[in-house]
Amino acid sequence: MKSNLGIMVLPSALLAALLACAVPARAQQPPAPPSENAPMDVEQLFATTCGWCHSDGGRAAGKGPQLMNTQRDDEFIRDRIKNGKPGAMPAFGGMFTDAQIDEIIKYIRSLKPREG
Amino acid sequence: MKAWWSYFCLPVAVAATLAAPSAFAQSVDTARIEAGGQNDWLTYHGSYKSYHYSPLAQINTGNVGDLSVAWIHIPGRSTRGLQSMPLVADGVLYYTGSYSRVFALNGATGEVIWSYFPELDEALIARQTHSPYNRGVAIGDGKVYVGTMDGRLIALDMKTGKVAWDTKLIDSQKLTVGFTGAPLFAKGTVIIGAQGGEWPGRGPIFAVDAATGKKKWEFLTVAGTDEAMKTWGSDSWRTGGGGGWMPGTYDPETNTILWGTANPAPLYDWSGPDYKTQGARPGDNLYTSSVLGLDIDTGKLKFYHQELPHDAWDFDSAVGEFVMLDRDGQKYVVHPNKSGYIFVYDRNLGVKNVWRITQNSNFVKNIDPKTGELIGRRDFTAGKVSEPLCPHISGGVSWNSGSYNPKTGLYYKLGQEWCMTLEVMKTTPIVAPQAQLNIGADFKIAPPPSGEIYGHLDARDPITGAKKWEVRFPEPPLGSVLSTGGNLVFVPDSRGTVHAYDADSGTELWNHSDGTGHQGGIISYAVNGKQYIAVVAGFGGMASDDYAPTFGGVYKSMPRDDGALVVYSLK
Repeated sequence: MKSNLGIMVLPSALLAALLACAVPARAQQPPAPPSENAPMDVEQLFATTCGWCHSDGGRAAGKGPQLMNTQRDDEFIRDRIKNGKPGAMPAFGGMFTDAQIDEIIKYIRSLKPREG
Repeated sequence: MKAWWSYFCLPVAVAATLAAPSAFAQSVDTARIEAGGQNDWLTYHGSYKSYHYSPLAQINTGNVGDLSVAWIHIPGRSTRGLQSMPLVADGVLYYTGSYSRVFALNGATGEVIWSYFPELDEALIARQTHSPYNRGVAIGDGKVYVGTMDGRLIALDMKTGKVAWDTKLIDSQKLTVGFTGAPLFAKGTVIIGAQGGEWPGRGPIFAVDAATGKKKWEFLTVAGTDEAMKTWGSDSWRTGGGGGWMPGTYDPETNTILWGTANPAPLYDWSGPDYKTQGARPGDNLYTSSVLGLDIDTGKLKFYHQELPHDAWDFDSAVGEFVMLDRDGQKYVVHPNKSGYIFVYDRNLGVKNVWRITQNSNFVKNIDPKTGELIGRRDFTAGKVSEPLCPHISGGVSWNSGSYNPKTGLYYKLGQEWCMTLEVMKTTPIVAPQAQLNIGADFKIAPPPSGEIYGHLDARDPITGAKKWEVRFPEPPLGSVLSTGGNLVFVPDSRGTVHAYDADSGTELWNHSDGTGHQGGIISYAVNGKQYIAVVAGFGGMASDDYAPTFGGVYKSMPRDDGALVVYSLK
């Protein structure tokens, strides 16, 4: 099921380029900058990466907390995505631009229980 | 700004030689590891036979009630708990904590002889998912060997902890992955497999010269031969996977390394039944979810069996147990697959039997015990999967090991009963490094159709699977099992209690709390005529992270960044 955000599906070459750019926010190796304009398919991102810990696309607690209906504010979520939490969540700061992280936050805010 | 290379290159020796026990003298070599030894635990699986069994009988069914804590060691910085298998040689215990911290301790007192904390690329580790735990060392030819999360294999002098060599094997900056598993020492060679299942890489297994640190060979578990390349349609070998992240064993009779491999990526495929031609990775995807026989001298593939062709469920073959048995003139190798099916092979990995330890399993209807062929496999298409998949992604068995007791002839192995709901998603190929994971579905843990989630210790015939007894646990234990010549079976459980059972009947004879959950090794050894049981405690790994939200109770307050080595002896 597609989210109601109307997020575009990421072409494979674009996604590959985006992922190739992934480096940590605090990494010391000079990274290639993430593409500022790369659109995000956040639903797919959860199915490949985030959902390992944030179960059911972020709708349920798993290894990581439930994200649907989270009481955390945007700043907290943004910081956690960028810098991670040692031993619990990887740092994705080098992987996503601020705009892309905003897309992830929008996805989290839009999460609703699955129908049926 | 600190140069990135400095993270790899700084020689670090947080070593302080305080006291050396009297018996440092003997060297550990291949013959000694093969023999196993009465008082030692010389390799991850106990000996090359992989029994996880100690012949020591001082602690036995008659006096185990008097077992109590002899000493404790706190390694510190136990992020994601402790998952290590301690080793013991000549009275010295070697083990690792998170971040590949290595300790050499006096086995009788716990006194630190030396310690070694490698300086790691912390920025890299901060963006790894399966990190920074470490599952142990190998010993041999006067050195202790440990892998690191930033792609290195390091040799330390066994007596001093000083670095003998430090070899970079993987470009972890590029690939994100490194080494969490213990190495294997055999025949002057150190073997170690990389992480791999969820990342775009080719899951290499390396052999390194123990004397010099020079790489001898490398085997790619993803499309590592011309034959294997043909089993990845649409160039899907680029999405990768594989790896051999747990140590296998060495068969001296055939000069062969036996090693299990991890799953292909993405974990879940949308191919449907036409997986040979459709979906994310059309074909069988050799040599993922397979057991391999590699020539130790050359790394050439001698024989293999792919336990799950085109694994579409993440039930891989990375479990490192290869239990070597002789029965009625036949030589067998028993290898548990993560799915809960236990494969019985001859020494060339020809299938002799397959049996199942779990009650709840529906990813296939069965596996043919004569051929190993999957019967009635469930290959999903994109969308919600109607019937929950069993077992759960954490498997029907853990990557930790069971134990074979040659005195009882029984194999003591933990089974896990749990399932998962999932919605498979058609995803864009992830072929570039630095991507974290490649799952291919949203999923959630679920109870099995028969009722609640639970775990069980089974005592079974390792060849036929015939069950003699079973002990149930309210939550699946995740640690390894130990059996001993004292007719005992030890199980460190997830709540933090170590249990001792009568090996013949399964009657519980003793238990003791270590204060936090277990998800690592347990061994027995002797120093100066006294027997010890050593177990690592400390929760917080990839499977155990599900316990707090799933079971609540004691898991809600259980730390995920703490741990201790607890050593028991008779009062």
